[in-house]
Amino acid sequence: MEDIEIINLWKSYDKKLEENLMLNKRNAEDITKMKVKSFLTSMTPLKVFTILIGILWIGFVDILMINLWSVASPFFLISAAILVLLNKLSIFIYLYQLILIHQVDISDPILATQEKLANLRSSTLWIARLLFLQLPVWTTFYLSETMFENGHIVFYIVQGILTFTFAYLAFWLFFNITYENRGKKWFRLIFNGKEWSPVMRSMELLSQIDEYRMENITANKNANL
Amino acid sequence: MSLKRDAQNFLTVIGSNKGIIYKVANSYCKDEENRKDLIQEIIIQLWLSFDKYDETYKLSTWMYRIALNVSISFYRKEHRRNEINQPLPDGILYLHEEHTGELNTEIDQLHQFIKELKEIDRAVILLYLEGNNQQEIAEILGLTMTNVSTKVSRIKQQLKEKFLTLKK
Repeated sequence: MEDIEIINLWKSYDKKLEENLMLNKRNAEDITKMKVKSFLTSMTPLKVFTILIGILWIGFVDILMINLWSVASPFFLISAAILVLLNKLSIFIYLYQLILIHQVDISDPILATQEKLANLRSSTLWIARLLFLQLPVWTTFYLSETMFENGHIVFYIVQGILTFTFAYLAFWLFFNITYENRGKKWFRLIFNGKEWSPVMRSMELLSQIDEYRMENITANKNANL
Repeated sequence: MSLKRDAQNFLTVIGSNKGIIYKVANSYCKDEENRKDLIQEIIIQLWLSFDKYDETYKLSTWMYRIALNVSISFYRKEHRRNEINQPLPDGILYLHEEHTGELNTEIDQLHQFIKELKEIDRAVILLYLEGNNQQEIAEILGLTMTNVSTKVSRIKQQLKEKFLTLKK
């Protein structure tokens, strides 16, 4: 099929649509009376709520650390400090998402808008990575020096295996939860819920956008030569 | 002349450009129920952005941008009904009668081939087939004209090959 034939085919479809496509005016009018929010602003309250809960949680752990500084075991303090740091990073990602939501204008050019939206969604994967990174501290915060002084060999072995396994798993997941690994069985097992499909699609879209950007750069360079 | 941003004028704008909304939604959504929701979502976003419409751009540029941005971001295979703001019982845009005949088969094939393309490529060819020139396509997508030209030829080639394979 030649170019002109494809164009003519589209034109004939266009003509048929012109003749048959009807607008339900009553329904269209209803839309102008609906109290609807833009899909982006409707995402804001949940993000703000999560940030507030996150700040409260961090504040609680921070106060606990300050008050128990002189009496708490170093294991607790270090575990809590790591936990707080990772949670603070997660909050920064949520703030970054809020900024992106604020910046997105749905009537802007497709590539720029889709890039912001895709970055917004795929940054959720960073939150998952940071959450997994917290795993080992949940196996160390309760430890104390006396537990080690009076501990039994079984305790050392069990504790050692537990902390090592969690730490290994946490770092492994942190470095391996990437778009490139999306096809792997373990990845699909973790992110198989329908709430993750927009995140996965966004990452696929980001790679398409990158491809376009690269071609844009090359085209610009060639034009300047 | 500046555009009045009231509901009545909005309905006139939608009425005279309903084809844009339908064709974009149809290119990104196979399922009829989901397409109905997508069309509603596009019209909602158009209404919410109507008072911000920048008249330095053509009305069609503004409509294509919103329709494409919404379609690319909001296409879901399932569960759309639960996610949409307030789903209306009936569609806003509907076809008076179904097309029949050989021409319809070829159109269906073309639609099928377009739907097999990646999201951004789909937008490029859709805008091209709609008769937009390179500058307009570049403005809508945010690309350079050279890039648009390269992409259009490449995608057209893909479509031709698909039709060729079908005839063999």
